[in-house]
Amino acid sequence: MIALSVAGVLAIFLLYTSIAGGGTPSVSPSELATRTGEVSLAGRVVGAPTGDAHGAGLRFVLEDIEGAHKKRVTVLYKGSVPDLFRTGRDVVVTGTRRPSGLFVTTPGSMITKCPSKYQAAENPS
Amino acid sequence: MAELGRAALLVTLGLSVYALVAGGLAAWRGKRRLAHSARNALLAAFFSTLVAALVLVAGFVRDDFSLAYVAGHSSEALPLQYKVSAFWGGQEGSLLLWLLVLTGYAALAVWFARKRARDLVVWVTPVFGGIALGFTWLLVAVSSPFETIAAPADGNGLNPSLQNPYMVAHPVFLYLGYVGLAVPFAFAMGALLSGRTDERWIVATRRWTLVAWTALGIGQLLGAHWAYEEVGWGGYYAWDPVENAALIPWLAATAFLHSVMIQEKRGMLRVWNVTLVSLAFCLSLFGTFLTRSGVVSSIHSFTQSAIGPWFLGFIVVAVVFATAMIWLRLPQLRTTAKLESLVSREAAFLYNNLLLVALCLTILWGTAWPMVSEAVRGESVVVGRPYYDFFLRIFGLPLLLLMGIGPLVAWRRASLAGLARAIAWPAGIALATGALLVALGAGSSIPGLIAYTFSAFVLSAIVVEFVRGTAARRALTGESIPTAFGRLVGRNRRRYGGYVVHAAVVLLAIGVAGSSAYDSVAEGRLARGESLAVGGYTLTYRELTERDGPNATEIRAVLDVRRGGDDLGTIAAGKNAYSVEQQVSNEVGIRSDLLTGEDLFVIAEQVRDDGAVVFRVFVKPLVNLIWLAGIVFVLGSLIALWPDAREERRLATRYARADERSETPATT
Amino acid sequence: MNGWFVLAAALAVGTVVVVALPFLRDPAPASDALHELDEAERALLEAQEERDRALAALKELEADHRAGRLSDEDYRSVVGPLRREAAQALRTLDRLEAGTATAESKSG
Repeated sequence: MIALSVAGVLAIFLLYTSIAGGGTPSVSPSELATRTGEVSLAGRVVGAPTGDAHGAGLRFVLEDIEGAHKKRVTVLYKGSVPDLFRTGRDVVVTGTRRPSGLFVTTPGSMITKCPSKYQAAENPS
Repeated sequence: MAELGRAALLVTLGLSVYALVAGGLAAWRGKRRLAHSARNALLAAFFSTLVAALVLVAGFVRDDFSLAYVAGHSSEALPLQYKVSAFWGGQEGSLLLWLLVLTGYAALAVWFARKRARDLVVWVTPVFGGIALGFTWLLVAVSSPFETIAAPADGNGLNPSLQNPYMVAHPVFLYLGYVGLAVPFAFAMGALLSGRTDERWIVATRRWTLVAWTALGIGQLLGAHWAYEEVGWGGYYAWDPVENAALIPWLAATAFLHSVMIQEKRGMLRVWNVTLVSLAFCLSLFGTFLTRSGVVSSIHSFTQSAIGPWFLGFIVVAVVFATAMIWLRLPQLRTTAKLESLVSREAAFLYNNLLLVALCLTILWGTAWPMVSEAVRGESVVVGRPYYDFFLRIFGLPLLLLMGIGPLVAWRRASLAGLARAIAWPAGIALATGALLVALGAGSSIPGLIAYTFSAFVLSAIVVEFVRGTAARRALTGESIPTAFGRLVGRNRRRYGGYVVHAAVVLLAIGVAGSSAYDSVAEGRLARGESLAVGGYTLTYRELTERDGPNATEIRAVLDVRRGGDDLGTIAAGKNAYSVEQQVSNEVGIRSDLLTGEDLFVIAEQVRDDGAVVFRVFVKPLVNLIWLAGIVFVLGSLIALWPDAREERRLATRYARADERSETPATT
Repeated sequence: MNGWFVLAAALAVGTVVVVALPFLRDPAPASDALHELDEAERALLEAQEERDRALAALKELEADHRAGRLSDEDYRSVVGPLRREAAQALRTLDRLEAGTATAESKSG
């Protein structure tokens, strides 16, 4: 009987993952070029951000956090900006890459990680 | 001073090795004095760890920045209570806290059990020694809190989000929970090692398990409250790996708490119980590993943390050891008692266990998948909220329903007709409540409606139980209602305490359903004098204030609140700018309505140069039931934990003979 | 610096004393053996647990029936087998206790 229930649980699980997929891929700026569809982009903020996240949009540049050949990508973000956001911080945003090369995000999807603390400070929508 | 700390930890290391090796030897060869000596080593280990901990606390209190850890997590301007809580603000200190709690629990557990079941305790001692050895090794060789540097003028300060009373208490409770699971685990392993198959180990650890489980639950609620008030995005749980790290072992422990009742009543599920307790402990180790090593993250990589590989190795050792012991004793553990009917209380407990373990494993999978995916496919993924919500509903809603059915169904073999009779009243009340809620507009969320209806079912089932029990007692003894009620609960503390805990879980379910399925949100940029309407409230932005606090500049936007025609006062939201830490933190404004339990939640997203503010406002119905549930939860646990003199006597007589024999050895 | 060293040394020494205490207190004991439960005692313990379980189940059945959780027919169908189980458990326990009693009187 236990075996039946285990099988049942597994069935539900497999059904879900096959329909909904196994999560959003997580990529870095250098891996972005080949991507279509929604991804989760992780990178370090370089340069000074411009614009207004609650207006026309906040523009900033993300660079690979690690690796020898770092690439950069410009991000257009609207929505809540976490307190820890600043130049030099590592952030994650969800969105899609436009043909122009600009990465447009899902509103409110920015997450930052504070280097000295182990927990994420986030603003999920 | 750092030398004293380091020396104390070295002493603990030696004692752990001794407890493990000498303890193991004493158990193997049956040497009484050596066993006693190993037990003493555990007691001494607590003391030496305490010395190390006090040295670190003193370092914080005295602003001794020559200690790298103190310099990294404290500053002169930091208020005293946060200087103390900075102890567990980083990796090294939190490992030391883990060890302190472990040696404390180990010392207490073997001290209280020292006169009873000696042949069990002799095997428990080396298991505790082994666990302590793992953590002490990390503290001595890999991640020491007593590293010294050239003292800087001032420290880095503590992350502002941690400067909060909830963050002082949250890690302590979590650790009391995580580490507490080591006690039933050690006793289970002790029982397996000694070859005993009776339930002595369960009886001995029953209260410890309940305390650990309660602490872990409270720790999570404190964390959720912190996230709600401090991080302030409008929610209290984000399915973040660090949050899941505490939920996963808690679910396994909940399953364990229930399945031991079946072993107690029917002698069944012995293998399942030792497996489950081992799973719970290994999951709590895994949870500590996840939180501490930063492994599951799309930003930090595995190799960045030095303790990662060690911790993983430690977990592997624990898993292998537990599996080996269970495998070894499998023939002795098997019983002839069988499940007689799929409709019985045993079956209900079994379904409860299956659902809890299924939920536990799916959350574990969702948490570990990014890590696994990166290792296997070379590409990491982010598992989002929809995954967790789906499984929480699929497994959680039936669990809610079972909480109501379980207590009403009889042991062994229940007839469906009998069950139908038993649930008639609660089911009727639930359906009526459901219909009423639909009329009130709750049909906008089907899962929410189901949650509410099931909650009504469980609550009425619990009330029915209390009423029936009191009435039956009165029929027998003719006592007054209060006396009968008091005696009923007093004589059956575990049962009725359990019912109170179930009521707490239902309150939690209602609070979660209300605040997530039926909440409202609005966002807008307001200049002074402008208003925003949401969920029946109207907020008008009045003014912007600025104030210098103890270690930060506090900026607040003040709004007037109206609802219907009533003036409800003001609410303020804004930001704190911390001077030393060079950080800005979000300070949300929350207005809790005591009557309806709903919260008005205001975030000042952005303060613009012209004085206009971008606000984000939530109305969260019934969210305060979640915090109320925490209080009811503790109350229920206290009732269940409370010592029962008659029960103690009964158990004492049962084990007296065996204890006597172990104390005065046979002279044959 | 010196003070810490003394404290650390005191800690180390104290620890060694605590660990050695059982040997210091009882240097030449009559027996150093730790008694482990043998087969007979284990069986006795299990039988006691079995008895307690059976009796508790009966008690709970009565309470459930009185409180109305169990109908008369359901009660009747379950109480018979339960009583038999309890009687069986008590018999087994008596047998084992008598067995160990004779074993004790033989060795004592």
